[in-house]
Amino acid sequence: ECGHISLSDPVVRLGNPITASCIISWNCSHLKPEPEILWKLESEHQPGGTQRRLPDGTLQSNITLPHLNHTRARLSCYLQWGSSYLQILDQAELQAGYPPPTPYNLSCHMNLTASSLICQWEPGPDPHLPTNFTLKSFKSRGKCQTQEKPIPDCVAEARQNHCSIPRKHLTLYQTIGVWLQAENTLGTSLSPQLCFDPMDLVKLQPPILRALEPSPGGAPALPGCLWLSWETHNSSWFMRKKCELRYQPRLAEANWALVTPLPSKSLHHELCGLLPATAYILQMRCVRWPLPGHWSDWSPSLERNATE
Amino acid sequence: PLGAAGSLPQSFLLKCLEQVRKIQVDGALLQEKLCTTHKLCHPEELLLLGHSLGISQAPLGSCSSQDLEVTSCLSQLHSGLLLYQHLLQALAGISPEVSPTLDLLKLDIVDFAAYIWQQMEDLAMAPSRQPSRNPTPTFSSAFQRRAGGVLVASNLRSFLELAYRALRYLASP
Repeated sequence: ECGHISLSDPVVRLGNPITASCIISWNCSHLKPEPEILWKLESEHQPGGTQRRLPDGTLQSNITLPHLNHTRARLSCYLQWGSSYLQILDQAELQAGYPPPTPYNLSCHMNLTASSLICQWEPGPDPHLPTNFTLKSFKSRGKCQTQEKPIPDCVAEARQNHCSIPRKHLTLYQTIGVWLQAENTLGTSLSPQLCFDPMDLVKLQPPILRALEPSPGGAPALPGCLWLSWETHNSSWFMRKKCELRYQPRLAEANWALVTPLPSKSLHHELCGLLPATAYILQMRCVRWPLPGHWSDWSPSLERNATE
Repeated sequence: PLGAAGSLPQSFLLKCLEQVRKIQVDGALLQEKLCTTHKLCHPEELLLLGHSLGISQAPLGSCSSQDLEVTSCLSQLHSGLLLYQHLLQALAGISPEVSPTLDLLKLDIVDFAAYIWQQMEDLAMAPSRQPSRNPTPTFSSAFQRRAGGVLVASNLRSFLELAYRALRYLASP
């Protein structure tokens, strides 16, 4: 090997010093006159290298860059020999960044359809270094003061700020402790720990809202009415729930009107008091009730005209 | 004689009812899968086989409404869930099509049993030791595992109906 750069640390904190050493073998450096080792950071010459010939005949230069302000940079070791071209003998990739900031806003919800617990978080400012996020958790009881059984780590995919714990690793209706670990070469940081029963964080699928033709049996339809039916996703069939409906005229800048609470299923619901012959937008959402849970997202909008 | 009924938190009873409904859905899915995949649709055709295999029913006598005794009802409910947990474990390898449904049912039963046990411990109602494990039948063929699955699902269904009635009674204001 002709030349080799070794670094004090391949990764340093942004703005910190970094020391490098370039060693050139005897057979690549026994030249007349004595060659000089030069350093370049990217394409910029770096003065201040200290050069010496070692007893074994190798030529060594050390340099300290006082403040590495590049998150990525290439450091090159050259040999200047007489008037010939500069000879590149080795290059090293320098990395600089920060330890991972403390992740925040860790929150989770139970998805019954996927049968998994999905947690997401805010990673905080970019540390400029590859950072791994690992969701740590354990089975517990009560207020999660004791770790009854560890749950396998959930390692988020690169650049993803969410992770899913599959059903088989969960004990439903008992509390689990969950926190997030962020780790890169410069350090580790932990989010605050959460303690919850996954089922208390269930987030239902949006209900399916349908419009019906005016009431069956041919009874004269009242003006300003709409007939609706709805049902929730079968993955939550076993859960007691309540729902709410919101509607607003499609064109007018009116606020949403809200009808709540509503049962989780209705084959035939009459909504009246609307502006006759007016186009309305309607949406519905549901939540586990009376037990705790997260509201589902609003259902896709349903557009219908109220009767004339 | 209800005994200790008042000490059961309403949220505990509501979560128990929810878990019973969840397991009923899982059990129905298992029965549906066994019927559509293996054409084993009628447990009444398998009673003789079930008897020879020693598939037992879990007793819930203390949960019947006439003389509902809360502590022993919860104990019997917990023991019954353990019995069904072990029976379902013995069905491992039932068939690739049915296994995912079986696994989910097992998970829900394990969680429900643990939930009841924890509550009994918290309320100092739990016996000093977990109930001893009943002998589990040995299923020596794929057919026996599938037939066993039909019978266990059927027994579980009756067990859960009785449990649901008792829990709803306890949860009623």
